[in-house]
Amino acid sequence: MKLEIRDVTKSFKNKSVVNNFNLEIQKGECVGLIGPNGAGKSTLIKMIVDMIEPEKGEILLNGNKNMEMKKEIGYLPQYPNFFNWMTAKETLMFMGQLSGVPKKALNNQIPLILRKVGLQDAENSKVGTFSGGMKQRLGIAQALLHKPSLIILDEPVSALDPIGRREVLNIIQEIKKETTILLSTHILNDAEEICERFVIIKNGVKLEDSSISQLFKRNNKNRLIIELASNDGVWMNIVKKLPYVKELTVKGNKLEVKVDDIYNHKNLILRNAIEHNVDILKFEIQRDTLEEIFLKMVMR
Amino acid sequence: MNAGILLMKKEFVQMARDLKVIWLPMVFILLGCTQPIVTYYLPNILDTLGGGQGITIDSTLISQEGGEVLASTFGSQFDQLGLIILVIALMGIIQSDKSSGMLAFILTRPVSVISYLSGKVASNYLLAAFSVTIGFLISYLYVNNLFTVVPLSHMLIALLLYLTWVLFVVSFTTMVSAVFRSQGMIALISIIFLLGCRIIISLIPNIDFINPASLSKYAMEVLISGTINTKVISIVFIEFIWIFILFSITNYWLTYRKGDHE
Repeated sequence: MKLEIRDVTKSFKNKSVVNNFNLEIQKGECVGLIGPNGAGKSTLIKMIVDMIEPEKGEILLNGNKNMEMKKEIGYLPQYPNFFNWMTAKETLMFMGQLSGVPKKALNNQIPLILRKVGLQDAENSKVGTFSGGMKQRLGIAQALLHKPSLIILDEPVSALDPIGRREVLNIIQEIKKETTILLSTHILNDAEEICERFVIIKNGVKLEDSSISQLFKRNNKNRLIIELASNDGVWMNIVKKLPYVKELTVKGNKLEVKVDDIYNHKNLILRNAIEHNVDILKFEIQRDTLEEIFLKMVMR
Repeated sequence: MNAGILLMKKEFVQMARDLKVIWLPMVFILLGCTQPIVTYYLPNILDTLGGGQGITIDSTLISQEGGEVLASTFGSQFDQLGLIILVIALMGIIQSDKSSGMLAFILTRPVSVISYLSGKVASNYLLAAFSVTIGFLISYLYVNNLFTVVPLSHMLIALLLYLTWVLFVVSFTTMVSAVFRSQGMIALISIIFLLGCRIIISLIPNIDFINPASLSKYAMEVLISGTINTKVISIVFIEFIWIFILFSITNYWLTYRKGDHE
């Protein structure tokens, strides 16, 4: 489902939380919404799922603002809450029926989805006895149950242990093929793994909206790092004299080489090294990790 | 509307798990028994325990008519302790869902505020009406056995008038529960307002028309005198207007201030 956010503004008690935010997500995309705590991620998400009314601007799903479109949204809140007196199965039955799924279909789907999120043994336990991680899994189950075409996940893995995190990431990888996903997170490795596109938000303002490869390309420093087995002074001097090498720093066995055009010149240097029979341990392009890019943008 | 029925079912399951379906009718059954039994045995009780020197108690003289005793089941039991317990049973009706975030969560589904509200009010009203009815029937049986017989038609008319007042009580508490955040506050405001309405019936009879509690008075009147005031029909009509207004305010509040729980 296509999601359009147009000029959305929201403030609480005169403090602006989301400011003139624009975003368009096409069908089938998987978008990571990343930003520091208090950036306005959750507020933005709550406006998309119609928990909060935007002050200005509009949010359109497939071009309209229809109530019926809510059937097509699966939403996982940051802190999922359920009725403590219901069992896991009853919760899913209730939420599924609210979304208009017939009871018969639910009877078939609920055991499947519980197995998918790893709650098959807790089917008839009260939600009140669940741990935080189990509630999170149940939250994911209810977000997927009615087979929505847009899934919105607010911090889906932040509360999980490494095993649970891995499982949930695998589930998201799987559903990604069929649906549009918007997920917010501050764990960048997870976002990097799942999403192709990133929206970085800070103080309610969009700082960046691009694909991961573009992001890396833009933050490229045109630097190579070559680690050698021994301090090969001869080859170092050869490299220094190459016409496209701008700068060379030597740190022990490590060479940091700055070139004009990394994509063409890196292979030339490598070929040169092989010709001179240099014992290379490591040959890499120096680039920022997503985390470094993110920190640079957000700290600015 | 489908969602409304679903939510109503959910409420019933919740009431069953909370045992509210048992204790609320029990309370009204107890209150219903109290009035006729205490009235009947009061002379005997005073006789044995009173130690009333100089007071003559003729326990054979029971002057009260059945209708009067049944009327005071409304006036002295249901409209006092009954009302307070009803409000306490209902005070979390919206507030608990609001504070846990369930209300906002449910509304992310294709559920309108109206169907959420109707499901809540309908289920809780059915329980309240059931409790009041069963308590009143018990009282009726006692009265018929211990005092004079009250005609069935009077009893039914009085009950229907009283149940309309109960609907107002439920709607009012629901509205207060939607607006305020603390349960104590909700209970306090509802109890003071509703008891206040009940008290001013006798203090300011002129505003009977717009006093929502006056139906309770007319229900008692039917039992005591056996006649129905012609004003009652218009008062019932006005009562429903009140209920509609309360419902609209609640709906407005939940629709436009739904993000307010944060």
